[in-house]
Amino acid sequence: MRTRAVLVALGAALMTYGAWLLLSRQDPGQWLEVGIWLGAGVVAHDAVISGVVIAVCLLGSRLVPPAWRAPAAIALVVWGALTIAAIPVLTRAGARADNPTLLDRPYLATWWAISAIVVVVVAVAGFVRSHRSRAGE
Amino acid sequence: MVSRPAAPTPDSFTSRLRSPAVAARVGVWLGLSFGICFVTGLVSHYAQLPSHPIPFPTSPSSGYRLTQGLHVISGVAAIPLLLVKLWSVLPKLFEAVPLRDPRRLLLTVLERGSIALLVAASIFQLATGVLNAAQWYPWLTFSFRTTHYALAWVAIGALLVHIAVKLPITRDVLLADIDATTHDRASATAPGALSRRALVRTSFAAAGVAVLATAGSTVPWLRQVSLFATRTGEGPGGVPINKSARAAGVVESASAPDWRLEVVVGGVATSWSYDDLRAIPQHTVDLPIACVEGWSAQGTWSGVRVSDLLRAAGATAGADVDVTSLQQAGAFRRTVLPANFAGDDRTLLALDLAGEPLSLDHGFPCRLIAPNRPGVLQTKWVSRLEVSA
Repeated sequence: MRTRAVLVALGAALMTYGAWLLLSRQDPGQWLEVGIWLGAGVVAHDAVISGVVIAVCLLGSRLVPPAWRAPAAIALVVWGALTIAAIPVLTRAGARADNPTLLDRPYLATWWAISAIVVVVVAVAGFVRSHRSRAGE
Repeated sequence: MVSRPAAPTPDSFTSRLRSPAVAARVGVWLGLSFGICFVTGLVSHYAQLPSHPIPFPTSPSSGYRLTQGLHVISGVAAIPLLLVKLWSVLPKLFEAVPLRDPRRLLLTVLERGSIALLVAASIFQLATGVLNAAQWYPWLTFSFRTTHYALAWVAIGALLVHIAVKLPITRDVLLADIDATTHDRASATAPGALSRRALVRTSFAAAGVAVLATAGSTVPWLRQVSLFATRTGEGPGGVPINKSARAAGVVESASAPDWRLEVVVGGVATSWSYDDLRAIPQHTVDLPIACVEGWSAQGTWSGVRVSDLLRAAGATAGADVDVTSLQQAGAFRRTVLPANFAGDDRTLLALDLAGEPLSLDHGFPCRLIAPNRPGVLQTKWVSRLEVSA
C-alpha cells in the first residue's frame, strides 16, 4: 500500500512538472495547438483505428474460414502496426529537393511489395492449415 | 464482437483476448520501452543545454549515438505494443461512471483522467517522435523540442500513477497462468482468432519487425534490412546531411573566397583564412554524427584542433567557447562548446571528411566535430569562435 501511495505521489509530481514546463515555456496559442494534437491523437486511435479494427474483426469472423483466422490476425497486427509506424516515411512529406540524403528509399513501392507478400503468406498458411485440419478429420 | 454498436458497454466486447492477462504482459514491455525513451530523452535534452551544471562527458565518443539510437528504437518498438495494449483494454473506455456515489465518482474521475492523459501523451510522444525523425512538422505553432520534453514528464508521471493503481491486478495476472479467468470481465468468453499467448507473442514480433524496418538509420549492419529507415546512410563522404547549405541560406557566404574564421579571446580577434587553417598541424579523428532524429553515421574527419586555435589566440584552457555559424537564423546558429569539449584533443574544426574537402552541405569551409555530442551542436559553416573570459 505504501509503495502504491509513493508511486501515485511521485507520478502526480512529475505530471505537474511536465504541465508547468509546457505552460511556462509556450504561449497560449501554442497551448491550444498542443491541446488539439493531444485530443486528435486520442480520437485518431479511439474512434478511427479502433473502429476500423473492430469492423475488420467483425467482417473477418463472418467471412474468413476458421483455419485462416490465426494467420490473418497475426498479419493484421504486424502489418497494421508497421504501416502506422511508417506513415511519416510513406507520405515522404518531409522530403526536400535540396537534400537527397533524407527519405531516400522507395518507401511506397516497398510497402506495396510487403503488403503483397503478407497476402501471399496468409494465403499459403491458411491453405496449409485448412488442408491439414481436413486431413485430420 | 460488438452486439450493440449504437451504445457499447464493456459487455459488448466478448473476445477473451481483451483481458488483463494480455494487457499486463504487453504492458510490462511497453512500460520498459517508455522508461528507456524517458531516460535517453533526458540525456539528449541535457546534452543540448547551453550550460551543464554537471559537465556532459566527452567519452565514450559514441555515447550519444547509442543513447539517441536507443531512444528512437524503443519509441518505434512502443508503437505496436501501445496499439495491442490499447486494443486489449478498449472495453474499459465504455465503463459506466458511478454518478451517485461522490467518493467513487471522484476516484473514478481522477483515475480515468490520469488514463486519458497517459493515452493522449503517449500517442502524442510517439506520433511527434516519428514525424520529427522524418523531418515532417505538420504542426503550426508549438516547438517540437519543448513540447516533446514537457509531455515526456506528463507521460511518465501518468504511467507511474497507472502502475500504482493497477499494481495488485498486474501482480495477480502476471503470477497466474495467461489463460486464467479470475480477473476477466464476465462477458469476455468468446475464443479469439489467436490464443492469448499467441497475441502477446505477435505483439512482440510486431515490435521487432517495426524496429528492424527502421533501425538501419543508426545501426549500420541493418541498413540493407531497414526498408522504412528515414535514411539509407548514403551521402557525401558516407555521411548523410540534416540541413543543406541552401536550406540554411549560406551558399553564398560559405563559398565566398574572402571567408575568414575569427577567433576572439577577451575581445581581441585573430583572423584565419582557409589557407591559414590548412597551414597549421592537421589531425584526423573517427567520430560519429549522431542526430537527435535518431540517425547516425561514422566519419573520418581531418582538420585543426579547436584547442590549438584557442591557444594560438591566447586563451587559457577551461573556458566555454561560443561557436557561431554563417547561418542567419535557426536555434542552433550560435552554440556553446563547453570547456571540457573545447579542451578535448578530438574536438576539431574539420576541413576534410573521408579525405576530401567538406562538401558545402557538410559545412564547408569548416565545421565543428566533437566526441559524444548531439548532431545539432556539431555546428556547420563556422565563422567565429569566442571565449568571453
